[in-house]
Amino acid sequence: MQPIVSLKNIWKSYGSKAVLKGIDLDIFPGQVIGYIGPNGAGKSTTVKILCGLISDYEGQVFINGKNIKDDIVGAKSMIGYVPELAELYDVLTPAEFLGFMANLYGLDEKIASDRITKMMIAFGLEANMHQRMDTFSKGMRQKVLITSGLLHNPGIIILDEPLSGLDANSVIIVKELISKLAQEGKTIFYCSHMMDVVEKVSDRIVLINNGVVLADGSFEALKLQQGDVSLEKMFSSLTATSGMDNAAEQIMSSFD
Amino acid sequence: MNIINRYLLKTVLSPRSLYEKWGIDTARLKAILSVKLVMDDRRPNTFRQVQQKKQDKPVKSATLATMAMSAVLGLLFLFAFRVGSTYTTHLTTYFSMYIFMLASTLIADFTSVLIDVRDNYIILPKPVNDRTVVVARLLHIIIHVSKLMLPMTLPCIVYLAIKTNLWGSAIFLLFIVLNTLFTIFLVNALYLIILRITTPQKFQSVISYFQIGFAILMYGGYQLAVQAIDEAALQGYDVSGIRYIWLAPSYWFAEAWQGLYALSLPPRSLVALLLSLITPFASIYIVIKYFAPSFNQKLSQVAASSPEDRSTQKAGKTIIPKATYSKTLAGITTGKGAERTGFLFTWKMTARSKDFLMKVYPSFGYIIVYLVILFFNSRTVSLQSLLTNPVQGKVVILSVIYFSSLMLVMAINQVPFSERFKAAWIYFVTPVKTPGLLISGALKAVMLKYYIPFAFIISVPAIYFFGVIIIPNILLGISNLLLICCIMGYINEKHLPFSVNQSIANKSGSFIRGIFMLIIPAITGLIHYVLYNFTIVVSIAAILSMTAAWLVIEAIKNTGWQKVKDFSE
Repeated sequence: MQPIVSLKNIWKSYGSKAVLKGIDLDIFPGQVIGYIGPNGAGKSTTVKILCGLISDYEGQVFINGKNIKDDIVGAKSMIGYVPELAELYDVLTPAEFLGFMANLYGLDEKIASDRITKMMIAFGLEANMHQRMDTFSKGMRQKVLITSGLLHNPGIIILDEPLSGLDANSVIIVKELISKLAQEGKTIFYCSHMMDVVEKVSDRIVLINNGVVLADGSFEALKLQQGDVSLEKMFSSLTATSGMDNAAEQIMSSFD
Repeated sequence: MNIINRYLLKTVLSPRSLYEKWGIDTARLKAILSVKLVMDDRRPNTFRQVQQKKQDKPVKSATLATMAMSAVLGLLFLFAFRVGSTYTTHLTTYFSMYIFMLASTLIADFTSVLIDVRDNYIILPKPVNDRTVVVARLLHIIIHVSKLMLPMTLPCIVYLAIKTNLWGSAIFLLFIVLNTLFTIFLVNALYLIILRITTPQKFQSVISYFQIGFAILMYGGYQLAVQAIDEAALQGYDVSGIRYIWLAPSYWFAEAWQGLYALSLPPRSLVALLLSLITPFASIYIVIKYFAPSFNQKLSQVAASSPEDRSTQKAGKTIIPKATYSKTLAGITTGKGAERTGFLFTWKMTARSKDFLMKVYPSFGYIIVYLVILFFNSRTVSLQSLLTNPVQGKVVILSVIYFSSLMLVMAINQVPFSERFKAAWIYFVTPVKTPGLLISGALKAVMLKYYIPFAFIISVPAIYFFGVIIIPNILLGISNLLLICCIMGYINEKHLPFSVNQSIANKSGSFIRGIFMLIIPAITGLIHYVLYNFTIVVSIAAILSMTAAWLVIEAIKNTGWQKVKDFSE
């Protein structure tokens, strides 16, 4: 099977500091990739490259077999991106904002407004559709953002901490949504620090640290390699630097 | 969207086929532009960047308010027609003012309105090509500018229509458009240069300094112009006589207007016409063709001063701050605990908060410019006469000292405000017994930070010129000032440093306070003037005033929680 997303030896540095040091990844349709790593590991740089936000990297990125540098606009139209920070134009109403998003994706207006209404209702935001978002809570903004990433029914969905700020009920909705989308054959790239969620939703886990892939495989496969422990334990044994082993202990001892 | 926005949008989108030829996606162009215009209309507008925003309701028709203000400004521009006797001279002056005004407005607006860093997350990951984004940005700028500039130029259009004829005012409009394109290019180029020489992280603060500099320059220029008006000389002035006049683009436009208006194109006008037609379009073309791709890239870096960049600081190396000037001062002037904390916190925040810099530093600049111009311009005051004429010396010294109180008051009044006012929760969750200590610490920090250098600057030359005899007078002046500031701090509503939302700055009583701010130093200065020659009285007064200032600060220190404004969400 042809990978839908393929990263070939990606290098990227900011100034003299290399953030990505030769990332190789093949992602296949219908996979839910849990992309994890400590802060500064290079997760968001990878995501930015995939979304076409960063173009001065070395190596090649293929989406559906096509190098994204050849047709970045075409690549972007296949991706739905839900950024980590709740960045949106909050003087707009959700209806206006999502309508704008739909326009940028070149969606038919009728279809778009139909979808927007349905999705907003599903998220329980129908009463807020015509209110300016500057009064919205973090969770409400997150729902609007998730909607904006799914609106054009993309084949590849990149989620960066999509659950942040959501209440427990909404978390359930989004988790269910992820597995439904995967069943439909969508590819999901899920970046998160919440190991328990990643463990549950993803069928393949990619762990990076210092710009290199440290582990790659299903949770079951990783367990065979690393021993039968939780993902959280695996994560820390693979990425924690020596000084951090007994950090909690050190913190407690600093009271003495 | 209001009618003005709708109409402007339609106009800029009309050369559809041309855009398509450039590889621009017109549907998406329209989508981006209309959203941007709606947002503009809901944002407190940009004319008053440096002043305090007083907005508490959701903003609706910001556009109309701004347009009205521009029209008033445009009336003032008609002053240009008092300069010189030829239209070339009039219009060179007019266009120069116009370009300057536009450039300074744009520099401010570019960061806050026109370049929205959220675009990086919202628009750039979408299937829109770079060129469309850049053109959308440019057209947004053009619409934004038209909204400012059409009303601004309207008085002149009418004036020319009456004074010359319709043809004259029609070609004037054409040249205004060319001027505008040219200025947009200038500002764009400036941005690119700044992006090139600094890191994207520092970009915002460099732009702020530019804005401050511009505002001060504008004020200085205005003051000079007002002071320098010598009607007779102005009337006979002719720009064509200036040797390097060709270096001023405003001259090309003016000369070209003259040529077209008179329908005769001598070589001089023809060259000017060519230059003024080619330059704007060529520069806009350059912006789209060459700057566009790198511009977007650079801008995404401005936004991406993200964790990755910051984490480049090497782990394991802990930076230990050295004992600093501020710490030494804090050690001398404040008691341990909350007061010292307030002092050091305010000292740092006043240097780093962009908000504070933008509000306070321009007014410092205005006051200094005003003082400088006051002395350079008054023909009676010179260094010589200062020394020989004791009365004059007195007046100058005292007016400098007391006038500069405005600077200090400005800074003190700004301390409670911050865009990050919500971070003030720290005061409310920590067991601070008397919040007055934080306030007095902040007050001391501002007084020492902004007044000590200034006091030094005025006392050294004063002592040098007038001898040690002047020391008691300077001491009295300075301590009076500090006393005034302390009293202001005492009677104002009590706010903790950087804890109040800038946009809901209290309006009530600000007029009274403003008057108070001017009258009290003036009266004190007057009394001081009367006492000036009685050194002993002055010395005693200085001691009394210092004691009073100290007492007031003690009183501020004791401010309890019941008097401090609550945490505002």
